[in-house]
Amino acid sequence: MSKSIVKWLDNIIADVEGVGYQRKSDRRIRMDVASDTLPTLLELLRGRASYVHLSAITCVDWIEDDEFELVYHLWSYENNTLVSAHTRVPRSPGVYLSVYDIYHPAAFFERDIHEMFGLYFEGSPDMERFILTEWDGPPPMRKDFDAEGWVQRKFNFQDYHPEWLKQLEDEGGGVAIRPEEVRAKKRADKP
Amino acid sequence: MRPENYQAKNHPPSNEYELNFGPNHPGIEGNYALQLKLHGDQIVHARADGGYLHRGFEKLMEGRLWIQNIALVPRICVPDPAPMELCYSLAIEEIGGLEVPERAQWIRVMQLELSRISAHLFTFGGHAATTGMYSNMYWGVADRDIILDLFEELTGGRVYSIYNIPGGVRRDLPEGYLERVSNTMDYIESRLPDYDNLFFTNQVFVNRAKGAGVMDQEQALDWGVTGPNLRATGLAFDVRRDDPYLVYDQLEFDIPTEAAGDAWARTLVRRRELIESIRIVRQVVKALPDIGGPIRCPIPNPLAWTVPAGEAYARVESSKGETCYYVVSDGGDMPYRVHVRGPSSMHAVQVLENLVKGCRIEDVAQIMFSLDACPPEVDR
Amino acid sequence: MTENTDIPVMLERDGDPKRTNPLAHVFDELVRFCRSRSLFMLHYCTGCGAIELPPAMTSRFDMERLGIQPMVTPRQADILLVTGYVSVKTLKRIILTYEQMSSPKYVVGICSCTVNGGMYWQSYATAKKLDEYLPVDLYIAGCMPRPEAVIEGMKKLMADIKSGKASNWQDYYRNYDYYLGNQQHLFGDNWQTPTDVVGEARNYALAGPGTTGEHTALLEQYQRPLEPITSHFRIGETVEPGDEQGDG
Repeated sequence: MSKSIVKWLDNIIADVEGVGYQRKSDRRIRMDVASDTLPTLLELLRGRASYVHLSAITCVDWIEDDEFELVYHLWSYENNTLVSAHTRVPRSPGVYLSVYDIYHPAAFFERDIHEMFGLYFEGSPDMERFILTEWDGPPPMRKDFDAEGWVQRKFNFQDYHPEWLKQLEDEGGGVAIRPEEVRAKKRADKP
Repeated sequence: MRPENYQAKNHPPSNEYELNFGPNHPGIEGNYALQLKLHGDQIVHARADGGYLHRGFEKLMEGRLWIQNIALVPRICVPDPAPMELCYSLAIEEIGGLEVPERAQWIRVMQLELSRISAHLFTFGGHAATTGMYSNMYWGVADRDIILDLFEELTGGRVYSIYNIPGGVRRDLPEGYLERVSNTMDYIESRLPDYDNLFFTNQVFVNRAKGAGVMDQEQALDWGVTGPNLRATGLAFDVRRDDPYLVYDQLEFDIPTEAAGDAWARTLVRRRELIESIRIVRQVVKALPDIGGPIRCPIPNPLAWTVPAGEAYARVESSKGETCYYVVSDGGDMPYRVHVRGPSSMHAVQVLENLVKGCRIEDVAQIMFSLDACPPEVDR
Repeated sequence: MTENTDIPVMLERDGDPKRTNPLAHVFDELVRFCRSRSLFMLHYCTGCGAIELPPAMTSRFDMERLGIQPMVTPRQADILLVTGYVSVKTLKRIILTYEQMSSPKYVVGICSCTVNGGMYWQSYATAKKLDEYLPVDLYIAGCMPRPEAVIEGMKKLMADIKSGKASNWQDYYRNYDYYLGNQQHLFGDNWQTPTDVVGEARNYALAGPGTTGEHTALLEQYQRPLEPITSHFRIGETVEPGDEQGDG
C-alpha cells in the first residue's frame, strides 16, 4: 500500500471514539481500547486493514492498579506497520475472552498467560498447562509471587566453607556482611 | 525393578498405539517431548510437551539490573544467541532514546550475520543426522567451530557472546580481524560445493525431504509462521528488509523463496540464505575500515542506570524467524516486564503438531529439524 | 513392597566376596582399566551446555579417541551427562533415567549450574545443588566449559575409574534415604519411580543403615502400582475451567 493510504487510515482510526491512537514512529502505532471493544477492533484490523499476523500477546501485571494489561501486537504484511493494541482487564475475576477465532496463534500465548499469570481466556481451545505441568505454587509471573523466598524454601545451596574462612573464624573473625541477608532486607523494605 | 509394573496387559489386537517421543531422544532437537498416537507407522495425532528447559527468564529479568540482564539474555536461544542480545538492546535504546554510533551498528550487523551462518550450519548438520547422514553433521559442526573461533576472538566467548549492550558494543575489533573474517568467508564458500555433493543434491536426502511436512502459504500465515519457513512457502518477507533495523537498509541482499513448502524447500531456502549472509558480511568487511568513531553511547553509571518509563517492541530476524522483545520500564533500575517471543513458540508447538499428522514415524525428527524448532525459546 | 524372597538371587553375599585367587587384584585392575577406556555416554541434552557437546564429540576435539561414544538408551550407557541446569521437570526424568542405568554408572555435572545454581540461582524452576538428588562423580565448571575442558574432565573421570575412586553409584544405595528425602521435598510426598532401589541395594549387598529410613517409609505408604501414563488426547473436546489434568 502506498504511504498516502496509510496516513488516511491514521486519520480515520484517530477519529473513532473509544480508541486511543498514537503513532509512535514510522512503523509503530499504539492503540488503547476498552476491554469489551478489543475483539471487535482486532476483527476489523484483520479483516479490513490486512493485519493478518499476530506477533505476540503480552500480559503486564500492574499490581498497584489491580489490573492486568494485555497487549496484542499485530503486523501487516502490506502496510509494513506494527499495531500494539493495549487493553486493561481487572485482576480479580481474572477472565477474558479469547481471540482464537480471529487469530489462531493466540492459542499458544493465551495458554502461556493462563499458566503464568492465572488469567483465564474463555473460548481458547486448550487451557491446559504446557510448561509448568508439575508446578504446585501460585502463578509465578504475578508481582506478588516472591521467587527468592520460594527458592530459599525449596532448594539448598552448597555449603561453601573453605580453609581460609575456617582460619578466620578460629581467630574470632568471620563473614561480616552476608549477601543473602542484604537482599532479604532490600526485599522486605520495598514498598 | 518391581515385577508388578512390568506385567503384560491384555489388549485386543489393534494397530493403534501411543508413543512418547520423549525428552531423552536423539531425534528431538534439544530437550522437548512429543506425545504421538500412531496407527501402524503413521501418526494420527500429536501433542507437544515442553517445559523441560524452563528457567523463568521473565521473572529473573525483573530482579536484575538492566545491564545484568545482558548476561542472561543470550541463553534464551542456545544455537543462535546474538539476535537475542540485539533485540533486548534495541528495545531499551528505543525506550531510552539512546543513539547508537554508526561503527557499532556495522559491527552488530557483522556479528548477527556470522551468528546466522553458524546457526544454519548447525541446522544442516542436525537435519542430515536425522536422515542418517552423519558425515554432514561432523562437517557442519566443524565448520561452525571456525566461526566460533572468530566469536571468541571478538567477544571472549565461543557461544554466548555478551557483546551487545544497550548503546553499542563492548569492544572494538582486534588487529587484523577483518582479514580473518574475510578468509573464513572464503573458506566457507569453498566448502559449499562439497556440501552440495554430499547433502543438498544427494538423491537419498532429496527423496526423503520432498513432501515431508508440507505447508502452503495460507496455512503458514494462519499459524503465525515466520522466517525461512514462511519464505519456503513463497512469501518474501524478511524483517531485515520490511522493518529494517541497524544498517540493513544500506546493504544489498536478496530474499530467497521457494514455493513447495516442504522440508526440501526449507532446506534450500536456508542454503541460499547462507550465501546471502556471506554476501552481507563481505560488504560489511569492505565498509568497516572507513567508518570510525566511538563504538558505544556512554552510559553514566551502568550499575545505577535508570531507563525512563515507557515501553517498546523490538523485532529482529534471527536464523529461525522473527524474534521480538516487549520491554516495559517504570523508570527504575530494573525492568518492569520483559516478554520474549521466540519464533519457535509457533513452530515447535502448533505448527509441529499439525505438520506431523499424517506423516510416517521416521519423518517426525526430520520435520522438527527442518522447521528449526528450538525448545529453549519456547520454554524460556 | 514386593517380597524379595521370591526373586531368585544369583549368589549369596556376605560383605565383600572372599577372593581366593592371589591374582584377583590384577584382574580387578584390568577390569577397571577396560571400563575406563570404553565409556558410553548417554545422549540426553538436558540443558544449554549440550551445545558444546557436538564439538567435543566430533572431529575437531574428538572425544571418541578416548573411547567415549554416545549411546541413546540408558540401559547400555555408563555416563549420565547432566549438561547444564536442571529444571524441576527435567530432574524427575533424570532421576528416572539414572535409576534405569545399570551399575556401575557415573554422573558428570557439566556447567556451573549443577554446582551451585549458576546464573539461575534465583530461579523458581531450576534445582541448585545436583548432588542432593543424585550422587555426582565429577563437576566440570564453566559457562559453558570449552570442549577442551570437557575432555580434561573426562580424562580425570577415566583416571578416577581406573584407580577405583569413582564409585559414587554405591552411595546411592547406601544413602538412599537421604536422596529420597531431598527428592520428596522437591517433588512432593507421593514421588515414586518404577525402580525398587531398596531391593536392588539388598541384591548388590550394599544396603546399609542409610538405605531405609523415614523417607522410604513414606514411599512405602504411597506405593501403588504405576498406571500407564494417562492419554492426553482429547480430539474434538474442549477443556472446562477447573478441569486440569496433571500427571498424577
